[in-house]
Amino acid sequence: MSPLGECPLDPGGYFVVKGNEKASVMSSTEMTKSKTIIRMEKEKVYLVLNAFTSKVPIMLVMKAMGMETDQEVVQMLGRDPQYATLLLPSIEDCASIGIYTQLQALEFLEKKDEGALGVLRDIFIPNIRVGGIKSPVRENNFHLKCVYVVVMLRRMMDAILNKDAMDDKDYIGNKRLELSGQLLSLLFEDLFKSMNDQVKFNVDKILSKPSRSSRFDVSQHLLKESITVGLERSLSTGNWDVSRFKMHRKGMTQIVTRLSFIGAFGSMTKISPQFEKSRKVSGPRALQPSQWGMLCPCDTPEGEACGLVKNLALMTHVTTDEEEGPIISLCTCFGVEDLSTLSGEELHSPSSYLIILNGLILGKHRRPERFANVMRKLRRAGKVGDFVSIYVNEKQRCVYIASDGGRVCRPLVIADNGVSRIKDHHMRELKDGVRNFDSFLREGLIEYLDVNEENNALIALYEGEATHETTHVEIEPFTILGACAGLIPFPHHNQSPRNTYQCAMGKQAMGNIAYNQSLRSTVSLNEAMSDGYLDLPFGLSSTAATDDENNRAAGQNATVAVMSYSGYDIEDAIVMNKSSLDRGFGRCIVMKKISAAYQKYDNTSDQFSSPCRSQHDQIQILDNDGLASPGEIIRHQDVYFQKECPIDPKGSMKSHPSQTPYRTSKQTYKGAEGETAVVDRVALCSDKRNNLNVKFMIRHTRRPEVGDKFSSRHGQKGVCGTIVQQEDFPFSERGICPDLIMNPHGFPSRMTVGKMIELLGSKAGVSCGRFHYGSAFGEPSGHADKVEDISETLVKHGFCYNGKDFLYSGITGMPLQAYIFMGPIYYQKLKHMVLDKMHARGMGPRQLITRQPTEGRSRNGGLRVGEMERDCLIAYGTSNLIYERLMISSDPFEVQVCRKCGLLGYINYKSKTRVNFKNISRFLLS
Amino acid sequence: MEGASYQRFPKVKIRELKDDYAKFELRETDASMANALRRVMIAEVPTIAIDLVEIEVNSSVLNDEFIAHRLGLIPLTSERAMSMRFSRDCDACDGDGQCEFCSVEFHLRAKCINDQTLDVTSKDLYSSDHTVVPVDFSDTGAGFENNEDQRAIARKGIGKDHAKWSPAATVTFMYEPEIHVNEEMMETLSLEEKTSVVESSPTKVFGINPHTQQVEVVDREAYTYDDEVLKKVEAMGKPGLVEIYAKEDSFIFTVESTGAVKASQLVLNAIEVLKQKLDAVRLSEDTVEADDQFGELGAHMRGG
Repeated sequence: MSPLGECPLDPGGYFVVKGNEKASVMSSTEMTKSKTIIRMEKEKVYLVLNAFTSKVPIMLVMKAMGMETDQEVVQMLGRDPQYATLLLPSIEDCASIGIYTQLQALEFLEKKDEGALGVLRDIFIPNIRVGGIKSPVRENNFHLKCVYVVVMLRRMMDAILNKDAMDDKDYIGNKRLELSGQLLSLLFEDLFKSMNDQVKFNVDKILSKPSRSSRFDVSQHLLKESITVGLERSLSTGNWDVSRFKMHRKGMTQIVTRLSFIGAFGSMTKISPQFEKSRKVSGPRALQPSQWGMLCPCDTPEGEACGLVKNLALMTHVTTDEEEGPIISLCTCFGVEDLSTLSGEELHSPSSYLIILNGLILGKHRRPERFANVMRKLRRAGKVGDFVSIYVNEKQRCVYIASDGGRVCRPLVIADNGVSRIKDHHMRELKDGVRNFDSFLREGLIEYLDVNEENNALIALYEGEATHETTHVEIEPFTILGACAGLIPFPHHNQSPRNTYQCAMGKQAMGNIAYNQSLRSTVSLNEAMSDGYLDLPFGLSSTAATDDENNRAAGQNATVAVMSYSGYDIEDAIVMNKSSLDRGFGRCIVMKKISAAYQKYDNTSDQFSSPCRSQHDQIQILDNDGLASPGEIIRHQDVYFQKECPIDPKGSMKSHPSQTPYRTSKQTYKGAEGETAVVDRVALCSDKRNNLNVKFMIRHTRRPEVGDKFSSRHGQKGVCGTIVQQEDFPFSERGICPDLIMNPHGFPSRMTVGKMIELLGSKAGVSCGRFHYGSAFGEPSGHADKVEDISETLVKHGFCYNGKDFLYSGITGMPLQAYIFMGPIYYQKLKHMVLDKMHARGMGPRQLITRQPTEGRSRNGGLRVGEMERDCLIAYGTSNLIYERLMISSDPFEVQVCRKCGLLGYINYKSKTRVNFKNISRFLLS
Repeated sequence: MEGASYQRFPKVKIRELKDDYAKFELRETDASMANALRRVMIAEVPTIAIDLVEIEVNSSVLNDEFIAHRLGLIPLTSERAMSMRFSRDCDACDGDGQCEFCSVEFHLRAKCINDQTLDVTSKDLYSSDHTVVPVDFSDTGAGFENNEDQRAIARKGIGKDHAKWSPAATVTFMYEPEIHVNEEMMETLSLEEKTSVVESSPTKVFGINPHTQQVEVVDREAYTYDDEVLKKVEAMGKPGLVEIYAKEDSFIFTVESTGAVKASQLVLNAIEVLKQKLDAVRLSEDTVEADDQFGELGAHMRGG
């Protein structure tokens, strides 16, 4: 990858469409596509199916499928009289309308809906093939469907009899994630079919013509690019409109936020729900116990989508579809008895378990535990796919085998009788680089479990805690967190919402994007930002280490003093040291892409234009070809692109190209006034229509200023309140002077103890020259340093154990009244900078129609004195101010009015004359 | 204002003097004096640093602003700085700051000819004036396939404007601590208790004399005013066993220089600058503006 100019660490997982990087958002589904509902209403059971116009009594369906005797149904349902009692009203109902045979039932159904048999065969639970698993014996053998319906019936009755048997809708094991592959395949199928239809339509039209001049060639009539364009459109807009599958979804893709590596990585793990977010329900938003280790408990947005949009945890794997055939034959080999050989009575006999593969009833097995163990052994040996899950549900007396796509699963260390299979020598080999993760998996030391199979496992958090029954050991506790939350040091000491805030904020931090970040631009974003002066955090979290994130940091270590200073630090504002800023703290580079194009017309095209040097100063940075040259300093209003356009692009057909008159057109740079940027690169390329395109990358190095936003890694953001000279800053007798002062009021209500420990750990790390770690829940395993140990290190290097220092005031030279908690904390610069936001105007542009000031910073708009502001001014009694704002500054307009006729005077632009010029008076409208 | 004199006669005792490090005592004055000296050393002693960079070619991986910033931060030997002119009030060159009285020109030419990474350090920087050269430890950065051709102009400035002109790496002082150990009370303690007192201080302030087994003050100045010993003594129920005061009229200064000027020279320059500033106040006496500007301070100056 690297010789080709690509970053070797780029995780991929996104599409590049029309010059944008788009990541497709995983969506979690709860329901399968075809809905078959068995519902009990007024003690009678009905089947609700979209293909039928109304609900159908279940016994009628059973009879129509060939199960004519009621006894057979009751027998299949189970011997327990409870079930029969529940079904009795339905049986009576069926008998009361006089339907006893299959023929009668079918006739009854046919009367209501035509083709009822076909619906039952092809649409009603279509995953069960009619005729048996192997070769169809008879065309319309509905036995298996009957079994399936009875199992559904029994489940429903279980739920009625015993509320515990209810399925949990929010349970992660009942959800499937839809990945981009599935979405694209649907889209492709639709596009391909519509293309075929279109081609067929066209070809038919041609072939139906009686006489044709040339030989018919189908390849001439294939629609070019219709699939490409369709895919491109869906990916770039994110709208999936597949009417063939009744799919109308929006926001399926999102632009990858390339602000920092982790931010980009984080946007690739995002999962959004399928139903709308407006529902005010707490269930799906709550933290599910089953998401442990699969989905990050911290990383979710605040507000509307809180708890609905989720992110994958670090080690999570999303399965893809696996072939069922081999698994079915394996199951039969291991003693699964085919249903067609069993009687109805045996279906729910307590001595054996149902075997269900991806919702398909395979048969029964007498020794389910043994069967499950054998299957698992095969999986560990690599004979069955790694991600096939085998789950024994004792309550439902079923063994579920799942090989379908979209399940989330995670790796765990296998333990035999509570002894981990990974021994010390394995770890040593891992350190030496002889082994890697895949070899652990291949040799059956580690296996992937999905959420359902986790229910059969007893997982110990640490090896030492394993008992005899333990089947698995966690790899590391911090893997329950996702990529963004994994960056927080000591997250387990923080108040939980703080970690959530940090997850959202980490995506706004500016940092290194990739190794090739200086080369990117041309295909990437409009505005990529990067920090030229980055550090590794002294206080690392292990996730940072596993993610290889160290090379792509997104912040700097700032020595922070937690104290009050100057009053410019209220409401989380921070005070910064000017000398630190001089030396490069918090600098960032903002890249901006501007493009220009040379247009082609019928006969002519735009031309290069050599700037005339004698003109004004604004064109100084242009090269002889009319393009700004790289490395030039560019200011507001500078011309960076100049070309010659034909004055009349259409009329030039007649004249010779050399005689076409041209005019010069210019593009000026609109940046912040008083700021200087640099032309970083100029790229020339041709676009789809073969026009010459020019792309300018403008680089702007920014030094922090008052109002820029900073944040530590604990959800504690703050703007820079003031910048103070170094000599005014407090200092210690060692000569240490903080880079940044944070107000202590940030701590009590936020309860970010992790930040304090980070400070302590970093301080110890700086003094002893070793990175300190702060992985989540890492203290027992040594991946996080304990405060006691940190304190010891501090004392060893002559600091106070509690991290407080004795400081002198830089202003007076007197000692400060209190000991100051001081040490390095990793600070991130967030993308919100005043330079991009500040705005003020006096006179300025107005809207054409209303003549009121324009709106918004980009249009240099005015600031509206709205209702509430007006209320304030009224309350304050500043009547003249209100009068000026509401009357004079906004609406008045001066017109010329004819004294005689009373008409408004105006300038006729065609004749350039004033109409109604005589008897004119000025008039002020307001 | 008559009669009151604010004149003091501070004493300086030099403890340690190296090229880039100085430690001295300042006695018989107060914090305002010591702090003024510290502040001047950090922010007002002039040095020479690269201020304007003209880049002809830069094909390195680092961008122009980055290189210019790093060039600015290179400390240059600035013995001449005190006698140089600020380019803003230089008469010889109308303030464009490119004459010999107010500026020094540097050239940087580096080209990487093989496919290895080339280190470009301050040694590649050629000065037009042999008295103003880079201090020989710094380094600007490294680049792959580097081709740089730059002209840089160094000017005089002070740390207040930009930290690159600050000659001080570290300037700090502490109050001299005065530690009294109550010998009689200490005698009542067992050896174990004594050790616990000694070890309660994070820095090595106290020690136990191996012969007499008495608690002694080993290094008074290692004390960081952390109060740990006092807390310990309090907790042992023996307040007054150890008493520590800060001597409010004596200070121990530590000065580390960036190498731009020698640490000793830095102190002398600072005093010189401080004098000049006070002169400026004194000379502006009797003017109304002076009173506006300096207020009470001006009155003090006239009186004392």
